[in-house]
Formats: sequence, structure tokens, C-alpha cells
Amino acid sequence: MEYDYSKLGLSTQELFSRQDHSDLESEKITAPRYSYWQSVFKVFFRKKLNIVILILLAAVILFCYLYPTFTEYDRFGQLLSSDAKHLMPGAAIEQFGFSIKWILGTGNAGNSTFDAIWNGARISVSLAFICGVINMTIGVILGAIWGFSKKVDTVMMVLYQIIANIPYILQISVLVLILSPTFWTMVFALTVTGWIGIAYSIRTQVVIIRDREYNLASRCLGTNTVKIAMKNILPFMTSIIMTLLAAEIPSYISYEVFLAYIGIGLPDMSLGRLIYSAESAMVTPGWGFEFWSPVAIAIVISVVLYVTGQSLGDASDPRTHM
Amino acid sequence: MLKYLLKRVLYGIGAICVVIAIVMIMIYSLLDRTRVFAQDAVYNKTASNQREVYRNTKWEEFGYLDFVPYTDYMQELVRQGEIDEDTRAAAASIGRTPEDDSPETAEFVKKFTEEYESQGYKVQRLDADVNKRGKLKNGGQQQLFAVKDRPLAQRLVEYFGSLLEIDSVHYVEEDIENRGLTFTLYDPVYEGKFSPAIIGNGTKHKYLLYCDSTFPYIHQNLATIRLGMSYSVSTGVDVFHSMTRTQGSYVMRPTTFPTGLQEDSADDLHTATYLAGSRTSSMIYEDRFTDDYTVVDTVRSGLSKIGYSFVIGIIATCLAYLLAVPIGILMAQKKDRLVDKLGTFYIVFISAVPSLAYIFMFKAIGAKLGMPITFDVESTSKLIYVLPIVSLALPQVAMLMKWLRRYMIDQMNSDYVKFARASGMTEGEIFRGHILKNAAIPLVHGIPGAILSALVGAIITERVYVVPGTGNLLTEAINKYDNGVIVGVTLFYSVLTVTSTILGDVLMAAMDPRISFTTKDR
Repeated sequence: MEYDYSKLGLSTQELFSRQDHSDLESEKITAPRYSYWQSVFKVFFRKKLNIVILILLAAVILFCYLYPTFTEYDRFGQLLSSDAKHLMPGAAIEQFGFSIKWILGTGNAGNSTFDAIWNGARISVSLAFICGVINMTIGVILGAIWGFSKKVDTVMMVLYQIIANIPYILQISVLVLILSPTFWTMVFALTVTGWIGIAYSIRTQVVIIRDREYNLASRCLGTNTVKIAMKNILPFMTSIIMTLLAAEIPSYISYEVFLAYIGIGLPDMSLGRLIYSAESAMVTPGWGFEFWSPVAIAIVISVVLYVTGQSLGDASDPRTHM
Repeated sequence: MLKYLLKRVLYGIGAICVVIAIVMIMIYSLLDRTRVFAQDAVYNKTASNQREVYRNTKWEEFGYLDFVPYTDYMQELVRQGEIDEDTRAAAASIGRTPEDDSPETAEFVKKFTEEYESQGYKVQRLDADVNKRGKLKNGGQQQLFAVKDRPLAQRLVEYFGSLLEIDSVHYVEEDIENRGLTFTLYDPVYEGKFSPAIIGNGTKHKYLLYCDSTFPYIHQNLATIRLGMSYSVSTGVDVFHSMTRTQGSYVMRPTTFPTGLQEDSADDLHTATYLAGSRTSSMIYEDRFTDDYTVVDTVRSGLSKIGYSFVIGIIATCLAYLLAVPIGILMAQKKDRLVDKLGTFYIVFISAVPSLAYIFMFKAIGAKLGMPITFDVESTSKLIYVLPIVSLALPQVAMLMKWLRRYMIDQMNSDYVKFARASGMTEGEIFRGHILKNAAIPLVHGIPGAILSALVGAIITERVYVVPGTGNLLTEAINKYDNGVIVGVTLFYSVLTVTSTILGDVLMAAMDPRISFTTKDR
């Protein structure tokens, strides 16, 4: 059908044009493409500092896990040669020739401090990661149940009050003494009640989000609890879980150092043990390197892990994606 | 409100009881009790039957079990007047094997066995350990004794029952003259100057109520808190007493003893307690005392363990609030500016870095500045307090800053603030009158906890600077298997935590009229 528009005194542009009905077209919803994880990484990499921190983290982890496999670390390296103990880096390089092994000098058994800190870091980082993963998994799952069910809530609150009141050092030391101190008993001691703090904070968040209007609406429409938990609440929790994890993993390194310092730590030369056994070197002039190197590496690892986690936590909050 | 509080307190007490029960199970049942002897030289020297007896005696001292040797049983019978001394002497020594017993002995052994087995004890008879030539081996004497593990319920009841010890005139079992209390206006310790006191005779403490020149001026010995006897950390002293008694060097001052003897001494006569027959046991006591109240504490120049921890902790907490509140406010006001960025950096540093590491850093920096780095009780310089206080305060500052900043920024975006701004209030008014007031409420909740946790002491800080405070008591007790101290310290900690959460809630409700704990008011 053709009309002569000029007869009506109208221009062609102002008029509507006819569109025929199409089933296919009506199904399309036009919105910008959005992928959650893509946006997370986009936001994360937008900051230049995050890239630097990530590279640092990769370097630290590579060093922790690869360096000790390529080198032979001997705790009592030069025990018999008395002139190899407590050397400053300069003196050590002079004595043994230049090698990456000696750039931090030697310890009290003539061993290489550089080797020692990476071996120690590997143990401490592994402990932190394993404990973090276990506690986080148990904590998040139980925290979610705790937040959803009122019956579980009353029981768990009592349990929480009791566990929170038993001195943590006592729990750990009793468990370590019962099971004899090894890496895995340490993991067990740190995780047997360690999850309850995480579960408690997750529970608080779940309680806050659980009764929001959109969840109420969801429930009225007959969505089952599991689906509400997975689809409505979990996306909200991703950034909270990330932020918690960021604080959690360095805290295990801190715990390990602390426990070693009070004498109930691991039998292996972890970072904590290194710091503990080199404590006297702190005040001795010229021995500073063997004490401050493990301290420094503990600081670097914790800060890098913490900042990465915090930034990932920020980036995984969908509100920052716009 | 009162009903709610009462409920909270009851719940708290319940939780504390369960905590103590769990701790008791952990240390008495789960831990291998032979560890007690790991560093015991005497244990390694003894052998054979003697070692067995030694083991049980020790375990009784550590509170694991009840142990009754046959000889004690016989002596007890004499004391109760059931048999006379001659019978005891005839029946006291058992034979190398049961067949060697004399008829009298056999009779009493049977009686002993029956009596204790009916009470649930396990009676053990160890025959003489002889070598091939029929001679006794080292420590191989024959032994007869009864042992019973203490059940948890009994242990708990006994423990809570003995928490508060009330002194009475019937404490002394021996016959003494003039049992009773006397009230005097002229305390004999001060040689007849006016000072009211209640003096007991037949009680455990001589002075039940007295005045002196130290805070709180009026003191009592009528009721004593007993948290548990220490075995290896400070032998034979109650945990609470070892936390509260003064430390350091003796303060000698002219003292007049009850006999009229004048001497420079550090004895605090007000703390005298009874020990039967003690006066005649030593010449010194005979010179000084007129009765058996001879066990006195000494006056020392330093503070108590709790004293040092509390002084350091409380100053650190005050300092933390004084620093953190203005910095936190400033950070929130200048969000994303330099101050905020520096503050955030500091917060990240403190939250991520192991606490031991930054305390060592503070120590090293302090040493560079010429501060004393080890705590010396005898030192008169107040500078020794600086580093422990700073090391305790700075992490607290970071945590407070973090939360205050976050609460304030949350409040800044809320509707009532926008409304206040729209109605023409200045930014300063909004900050002080609205935002700060609302943001401070969650922080107030932590104040009682911060104050009370100062009593507990800080493990790392006190270890690093060698402060003689309470912080190390638990770790020391764990390392030395001092079960009494572990239980006592746990009770002390849990009472403080429970109290501080309840106080925090009350304080928060007092600050914020919207918070109410009774469902009716809501």
C-alpha cells in the first residue's frame, strides 16, 4: 500500500513505517552483553597495582614451590666449619663464590638463609592454603545452613559461645600434643574448630539477605530453598567470601608464626620456626639477615595474598561492574 | 531488661561450665599423662615398684586420680581411733608376697582391699622385685595401694565448690584456745594507732578485715577466690593468688612482730595464715610470733602480674581510642584522598602482616631510638612501658580505624544525611551530630571487651619485652603440664569474655535508644 504523503502535508521521516510481526525477533531482548566472571577480571585488571601484585604473587608462589625442588637444602649445611656460620651476604659470597644461594648470608649452622626462607615459606604457604580451603568450605556451607534454619541457629549459637570461650592456644596445643606434631596434625588442629568464626560471619550475612523482599517474592512464587540459596544469595556472597578468604589465608601464616614462637609449632623449619630460632640474632650486630629475611618474606607473602584477595573481593562485587 | 540480663548471665554461666568441662576432658583424659614425667629427673632415677608408686603420687598431685597407699590407710585408722599404735606397727609392713603376710597384716590387707574396692578403687599389690640371689632390686620393695581415676562429674563439682573459700573459726582442726573473732579498733600491727580490724582465732587467716594505706584501703580475707592450685608453674600457690600478688624485690620496712620484736622485714603481717605447729618448728618463728599464724606474704616493690598487664593494656586501649577516632573520622571525611590512602595502607599492613613480625619491627625501631627493650621490674624509669604500650596500641588503632571509617562511610550515604544536608545543615554539624553519633554505636560495643582483655594480657607482647604479666601464664602452664593452672586460667578468661559481651550489649543499649533486648518494647 502506497500513500502520497505530500498530499497530507507531512514529510516521510515523521511517519511510522510498518513492521510485520516476526516470532523470532520478538524473542530477542536487547541488553549489553554481560558475563559475570569476565566483568570480574575486567574490573580486577583495570587497576595497574593489581597487575603488579599478581605478578609478585606468582613469583612468590613459583619460588616457594619450584626453588626448593631444584636446590638441595641442608639445615645443617656447614655445621662443622666454624667460619661459615652467621655470615653477612658479602662475606658469604666471598667465601663460597657468587650464587643466588648466598645472597642473604648464612645462618647459625652455616646453612644458606636464602634456601631456608623458601623452604620455610613453602611449608607455611601450603599450611595456610590447605587450612584456608578446608575452613572456608566447611564454614561457608555450615554458615549458610546456620543462617537459613532457625532450629540449627539455636544449637549453633550455643556451640559458638562455647567454642569461642575455649582458649585457641589450648585447643591447638592439646591436639598437637595428643596427635604428635606433624604438618597434618597442625592442619587438623587449625581446622577442627577454626571454621566456626567464618561460619558465624556467613550466617550473619545470610540472615541479612535472607529476608529481603526479592527473596520473599521468590519464596511466594514457590522457589525451593536450595535454588534461593544458589541463585539469589550465593552471588551476593561471592565478594564477601573473597574478602574473608583474603583475611583468612594470611592469618594462618600469622598463626603458624605465633605458635612456633610460643613453642607449639611444626617440627619442620617453617617460617615461624625460622623466626623463632633466629630471635637472638635480631639484637646481635651482623647477624641481622638471618632474622629479618624470614620476617620480611612472611610480610611480603601475607601482604601480597591479602591485597590480591581484597582486590578480587572488590572486583567480584557486581555493583562495581557498571 | 533485667529479666533479659539475668537470662544472659545464666546462659553465660552455663557456657562457662561446659567450657571448663571440655577443658578438663581435654587435659585429664585426652592427653597422655605420662608426658608429665618428660622432664622429671626423679622419675628417671626411680625404678621398678618405687617408680610405680612415684608415678601415682605425682598423678595425684596433678589431679588425675586418687591414690591411697596402705600405710596411709593404717595411719588414718589410728587417727580415727579405730586401732592403736601397736596394732598398726604390727600390721603395717606387708610381706614380699601375699603368702608372707603375718595374720594381722593379712586381716588388715583384706579389710583395706574390701573397703576401697567397694568405693570403686582398683587395689594393686606389687610383689617384691628380687634378683636371682633373692635380694631386692633397686626400688623393688613390695607395695600395696589403691587408685581411682577421678570421674569428670566429681572433678567438676569439687572444682566449682572450692571456687570461693569462706573462712570460718572452725578451720583449724587442732585444739586451740579462745576460738572466735575479736574486733579491735587498734590494729596490733600498727602498734596501737587507730585502725579497725577483725582478728580471728581458729580461722585460716588471722586478719579477716583490716585497713592499710593501699587501694582500696579496707581489705578482707574472709572470702578468697581460688581458681586452682598450681603444681609446677608456681608450686603450691593458687592461680588467682599468683596473678594478684606483688612481684619484684622485697620492700624492707620496720615491722613490729606480735612478740614485740622490732626488725626490718618485708613480711606483711596482715596476710598471716595458720599452719599447725609451725611456731615451734623454727627459731625465727619463735622469736617473732606468739601463735601458729606464721605463714605470711611479703611486700614487694613491683606490681602483680594482673597489675602489669592491666596498666599496659589499659593505657594502650586509651591511646588506641584517642588516636583511632580522630584518624578514622579524618579518613572518612577525606575519602580517596591522601590521608585515606595512607591510613588504608597502614590498615592493610597491620591486618596482613603476622603480629609477631610487626612487634619485632617496633622493637627494632624502639631499640634504634634508644628505648629500653626489655622490661625490668626494678627500674624506676617509666620508659620501659613505652614499647609494650606502643606495640599493643598500634594494631588496635588499625582495627578501630578500619571499622570507624567503614561505619562512617556507610552512614554518609544514608537518606537521613542527605536530608540533613538538604535542610541546610553544615557539613560539620552533620558529621558531629549525626554521622559520628550513629557510627560510634558499634564501636562502643567493644569498649568493655577492650578494657577487660587488658587483664588477660598479651602473649606475644609480654614475651617479646619480657613483661611479668598474665599473658604468659597459659602457655607456661601448657608447657609444664600444670593442669590446675590451665583450668584456672581458662575459667578466668571465659568469665571475662562472657562479662564483656554482656556489658558491651548493655552499653550499646544505653547509647542507642533504638536497641532494646526485651521483645515487648520493640
